[in-house]
Amino acid sequence: MEQSGTSTRLADAVQGLTSELVSALRSGGPFGLAGSVPGAGGPEAADKLTLAAVRVVGADAVLPNVLRHTPPEPDDLAVFSGAVHAYPPPADASPTSTWSHWAMNRTLLRLRGTPDAARPGTPGHNGSSGHSFGHSSGHDTEPRAAWLDGASWQSLTHQLAVLAPLAVPGGDCAVTRVARGRPADVARGFVRAVRRRDWLQAAGAGRWLALLDGVPDTLGLENGLAFVAQMGSADPRVLLQVEAARLMRTGAPV
Amino acid sequence: MSSTEFLTDELTEVQGVDVEAALDPVEADGSYRDSRECAALALTSGSTSLLLSPPTPRPKKG
Repeated sequence: MEQSGTSTRLADAVQGLTSELVSALRSGGPFGLAGSVPGAGGPEAADKLTLAAVRVVGADAVLPNVLRHTPPEPDDLAVFSGAVHAYPPPADASPTSTWSHWAMNRTLLRLRGTPDAARPGTPGHNGSSGHSFGHSSGHDTEPRAAWLDGASWQSLTHQLAVLAPLAVPGGDCAVTRVARGRPADVARGFVRAVRRRDWLQAAGAGRWLALLDGVPDTLGLENGLAFVAQMGSADPRVLLQVEAARLMRTGAPV
Repeated sequence: MSSTEFLTDELTEVQGVDVEAALDPVEADGSYRDSRECAALALTSGSTSLLLSPPTPRPKKG
């Protein structure tokens, strides 16, 4: 199906932002979200396309800060916060949209150093940012993961790959608990994605596997991820997931 | 703002529905590896063989 003009522009903006994230993760250098999105000179200049791209990239838009435990610049935090508040999930939102938004809210609270957010996976807590641009009361209440109950391993892998930004160290929540309970299914889904040449799904599943215990040794995850990176190198979204997985697996100074 | 500019903005502005669609993508259609890629995988897979194993047989009907 042909993409509309706006969705193409959005996809391009997402690709651009993701490329910058990959470079930052690889180099270990400083990363500035506000300067990484074309057209975003600062929070005031961030247009709707910028905010939409950040919303689509989700919590990964500040992944270098999350993995390195470094606070983002105020301008970056403002752009990230702007995306959270510009695109809340609608009433009929998909579970992946709802969870993506929740992950952004939780990341926002963590990066601001809100005490409640320092305790990952506190189900249903209602921490407030304590800042004037909060609007977060209720937004960080953990959604339910019932839609994953009884999901086939194929569907589970697809959903987890879409929600790969939730796969971060210490990122305990209902979705991560589901993933922890089904490492063999995620491994099977990784293999299926590779065999289907769905590099983005394979990369997302591989990122989850990098965090999970009980992954079969026979999987050869490290080599598999290298293969995925090689075959999917044209898509920075693939490279972002592989790089995140590599950093989390090696415990590199992130 | 002229009517043309207004119409252009309407047509090019990212809508929430575009964002929602990007956040809930359908699974991509699969296409299976060719022999060149199999060879590359064999070179990178080291001592593991799971990725190279043949597909599991489909259950027989009846």
